[in-house]
Amino acid sequence: MSALESVLAAMIRTATPLLLAGLGELVTERAGVINIGLEGAVICGALAATVAAPPLGVAGGYLSALVAGAAVGVLMATFVVVLRADQIISGTAVALLGLGLTGALYHDIYGAGGVALTVPTSRSFDIPVLSGVPVLGPALFQQPLMSYMAFLLAPALAWFLYRTHAGLSLRAVGEAPHAARAAGVAVDRFRVGAIIFGSALGGAAGGVLVLAQSGTFAEGMSAGRGFIAIAIVALGRWTPTGVLVASLVFGFATAMQYVVQALGWPLRYELVLTLPYVLTLVALVLAPRGAAPAYLARTD
Amino acid sequence: MRAKQRFSTAFNIAIALALAACSHGNSDSGRSSASDFKVALLTPGPVSDQSWNAGAYQGLLRIRDSLGAKISNIETKTPADFEESFRQYGAQHYSLVIGHGFEFQDAAKRVAPDYPKTVFVTTSGNTEGPNLAGLQFDFANPSFLAGMLAGGVTHSGVVGVIGGTELPPVRESFAAFARGAQFVNPKVRVLSSYIGNWDDVSAGREQALAQIAQNADVIFQNADAAGLGVIQAARQSKNVLVFGSNSNQNDVAPDVVIASVVINLPHAFLLVANEVKDSTFRGRVISLGMRDDVVQLVLNPKLASRIPAPLVTRIDSVRTAMLHGSFPGADSAASPAR
Repeated sequence: MSALESVLAAMIRTATPLLLAGLGELVTERAGVINIGLEGAVICGALAATVAAPPLGVAGGYLSALVAGAAVGVLMATFVVVLRADQIISGTAVALLGLGLTGALYHDIYGAGGVALTVPTSRSFDIPVLSGVPVLGPALFQQPLMSYMAFLLAPALAWFLYRTHAGLSLRAVGEAPHAARAAGVAVDRFRVGAIIFGSALGGAAGGVLVLAQSGTFAEGMSAGRGFIAIAIVALGRWTPTGVLVASLVFGFATAMQYVVQALGWPLRYELVLTLPYVLTLVALVLAPRGAAPAYLARTD
Repeated sequence: MRAKQRFSTAFNIAIALALAACSHGNSDSGRSSASDFKVALLTPGPVSDQSWNAGAYQGLLRIRDSLGAKISNIETKTPADFEESFRQYGAQHYSLVIGHGFEFQDAAKRVAPDYPKTVFVTTSGNTEGPNLAGLQFDFANPSFLAGMLAGGVTHSGVVGVIGGTELPPVRESFAAFARGAQFVNPKVRVLSSYIGNWDDVSAGREQALAQIAQNADVIFQNADAAGLGVIQAARQSKNVLVFGSNSNQNDVAPDVVIASVVINLPHAFLLVANEVKDSTFRGRVISLGMRDDVVQLVLNPKLASRIPAPLVTRIDSVRTAMLHGSFPGADSAASPAR
């Protein structure tokens, strides 16, 4: 396998969970809510997939990851929509709760030994013809089914946000909730729905980490991906296409980091590890301007 | 107003839950419940990692079962937490508190004088005091033997090492591994990658896949939970073998883990706990290695057919020379494992 091929394949694998969580967070933020608790949804999804996949198979694992993420969303929505609590503080509490609770539950379910590498993982699904294309084929078209679905979700969400009445209402809720309410939009209902949808996708991202990649659970294995997804939404300027591109940029930079280390270039590894973040900052400066939803993170 | 009050109550409960869940320590009284011999363990990661922290937890259980101690363990990530946890256990009159890793030394040194009746031990530490000991493991010699094995079984002539972060003991172990590989195969190339943390299993897998794409076919990992990702990458690739580390990981994936560099932490912990219980303890740096049967290269019997007999003989003869102190090849100075 050439170095380019391995970089491209690693880019797609790294980008997939970020894209799923990022698209979920995009919908939540377009409704005016910033969900810092997304990290909690990712790790809960990972644990749910670990528990469900051995008896139910990979598909059952993904389903329960979605449900676990949605449950975290219900908790988040209760705080920020029903109780009108500060979004940043509630989200931080939900993220910490998810990280701590999954560790405690993992111990309770499996004991101190854990479940090292016993979870079934999805096979790669080769797309006929396209997977035979040199260089690009193996990297882009020999991926688990969930990767294709994540990448198809971006245009689907673009259609929803910009071409449907519900999408218009959702965006109105994030930009001008008072006007939306006057126009007859059920603002709170949209926000609750957007939070639950976003968290469910965060859970699916956790499912990818276990079912398409690790085959195991480890405490804290979400490793900040929920927070990175929030940054990716800002980098992608709150549009589905932007989030797709931003995930790929971050995935590419991370893949470069792996290859640069493996090639043995004489660089301090700590510097190489910062590569994705440096590249993301550069991209943030170069990216076209775009504004956050006007009512993002506001409780009034 | 009522909504606000209701919220603040709910919020406080959530915070309390989150905090309680984050510090999911565990107390477990021993068989002789009246025992006032209390032992605590602080780990830098989850004890379910099947590696560095799992071995320590087994050691704690051994102390409970053999000496009837009342035990407690807690996972702590930051230096501020290290010190606070040491103080908590000191204040509760624990007899022995073990900080599991190089990184616990500074906190132990600060806290030990304040609780003279408690013995503080840090694994891989080199600080000592009246009630403070370091417990060092010679990881370099068995790492050298693992390197010899890797150099002998590689087909591509490329082997890799993957660590969590570049702690001095990990770096020394990897250097010994590289010397061992070059000892049997002077042309071998050694790739080196660090994941940047000890938890990110997916990143561990990606680091391994990147090395495998560069033709590495034997990988020595020392990355705790993230190391499971390295093993997973080997399972999903053709003809790639990996080494387990810290605990015996041969059974984690018996089809790809060719051997493990194992620290017998239960043995080491029991040794110290016995001294503390019998009041014969004196503060010092305790070095344990292959000669004490504490650190060893353990081959996976299920993959024994993959290792040529002459290579086994050669490794055994170097091991014997090491035990007699007559082998200069590996870094002979005892180096801590973490």
